[in-house]
Amino acid sequence: MLKEKMVRIRHSILGFSAGVIVAYIIILCFYLVNSEAAFMLMVFDFLFVSLVFPLDGSFVKKIALLLIGNVIGLLWNSVFSSFSYVAACYFGEFLNVLYIILNPLLNFVWVVSFWSISLSVLASSKTVKVN
Amino acid sequence: MIVEILEALFLILTFLMTAYLIRHYVFTLAVLNHSHKREKAAVTTRNAAYQPRVSILIPAHNEERVIGRILQGMTKLTYLKDNMQVIVIDDASTDNTGEIAEGYAKPHNYIEVIHRNQSEGGKGKASALNRGLKQAEGEIIFCFDADYYPQKDIIEKLVAEFADPKVGAVQGRVTVLNEPQNLVTRLVALERIGGYRVDQQARDSLGLITQFGGTVGGFRRGLLESLDGWDESILAEDTDLTFRVHLAGYKIRYVNDAECYEEAVESWGNYWKQRYRWAKGHMQCAFKHSLKVLKSSNLRFKEKLDGLLLLNVYFIPVLVLLSWVVGVLLFLFHPPPWFNIFWALIPISLYSFVGNFAPFFEVGVGAYLDGRTRAYWLIPLLIFTFLYNIPICTKALADLFTSKISGKNCNHWDKTVHTGNGNSYIISQSKVS
Repeated sequence: MLKEKMVRIRHSILGFSAGVIVAYIIILCFYLVNSEAAFMLMVFDFLFVSLVFPLDGSFVKKIALLLIGNVIGLLWNSVFSSFSYVAACYFGEFLNVLYIILNPLLNFVWVVSFWSISLSVLASSKTVKVN
Repeated sequence: MIVEILEALFLILTFLMTAYLIRHYVFTLAVLNHSHKREKAAVTTRNAAYQPRVSILIPAHNEERVIGRILQGMTKLTYLKDNMQVIVIDDASTDNTGEIAEGYAKPHNYIEVIHRNQSEGGKGKASALNRGLKQAEGEIIFCFDADYYPQKDIIEKLVAEFADPKVGAVQGRVTVLNEPQNLVTRLVALERIGGYRVDQQARDSLGLITQFGGTVGGFRRGLLESLDGWDESILAEDTDLTFRVHLAGYKIRYVNDAECYEEAVESWGNYWKQRYRWAKGHMQCAFKHSLKVLKSSNLRFKEKLDGLLLLNVYFIPVLVLLSWVVGVLLFLFHPPPWFNIFWALIPISLYSFVGNFAPFFEVGVGAYLDGRTRAYWLIPLLIFTFLYNIPICTKALADLFTSKISGKNCNHWDKTVHTGNGNSYIISQSKVS
């Protein structure tokens, strides 16, 4: 019981350290993505580290999921902002406005989906371990 | 001037939504930290010798498809039958509910049936429960909905909490019986995980306003009588009683391992009817209790805060819609410098009120703690139930105001239809075991 608790605490501390590093990288990437996207990535990192890292499962797997999540977030935002830029050039400024209005919601599509996949991965590995 | 008003409104709305977001985050963290400790403690300290006389009320209006199932469940309860009284309130049913209940009452002397005729009954669940309360002899009064199926030892688990004199009521966990049936039942199952496994558990662990959910719960008879039973003028009689119990200075305990299985609504139409009733009833409770909660000397600051957030939760889908409209207007007219960050908070809030108003991370952690492996894939789809709740709650609020202005009674009890499809899952479960 005590050992289990220690592992949870260690995972959370290490997770937060990893989260801080990732947050710095995102801040450096401000030139690549817009400020809303960077804010969303930070929210994702904060929630992921504080709520997924205390769960059972290998620490390496959690770190890998956190990093994959950030890469997906960055790619997602880069692709959508490029798409909106091109679409705005061809079809008018209205599409750009529409993109900015919908951007936070579009971000949450990947955040929630990736969250679900991450929990599936952790839960399935837990089941295998139990079996 | 208009822009300044819009800015202020937008800030207030995002502040409110952020408050709910923080609340859910704290709940999830609390459950992560306390779940192991609490469950182990509950199992070890449960007082098996404490078995007072209990009365179980089962209100039933046209429930012929499910009433046999719960009565069968009642006969299988391990609680001492001499200390148990089961009262079925056949509430002006026009089908065979009464006959089926009588069929169970004949061989089991602890099962009684009250038949209410058309003039007396059919006025809603609260009215039926009050009628049952008059006949109840137990020290503890439980109530179960007719579409539920209890665990065999659920009464022992729930009753044990009453050993503490400060406990006025107890609530067990609701789990969906017919989860694999279709997408609606699967999404409702996820909502229930967020609502019970995390929300209720966290409120109990943190000493906040644990909610009586209207079923799978019980009260001290003396307390219930001193509160004049269930309020028949409120559609969410459970939430109303929750607050009256807390305001009277008693605690409500939540027992996560006292599980009862419900037949969830199977269609979007029935989902609408059920949630519309909940939303309207909850809003009635917000108008009735918000001020009392603020003024109460029996509640601590954190309970007052949680109580207000709980009372007003059904207004939030309306406010999210409003904040989205205000945000778009602000963006088009004159976006202030701080706008982008606050704008990003709107969808977080949107995803913070999915399902039965539990955010995606809460549902996910709840499912994980339940040992689920595949349920997570449906979490993104919970956004649809939230979006569906926007018109439901907006209509409920509009109807409530209309009835206030016109003075017309808006308390029509639109009963949830139960098909009895959950029976097959009990049969399959018993085959497996």
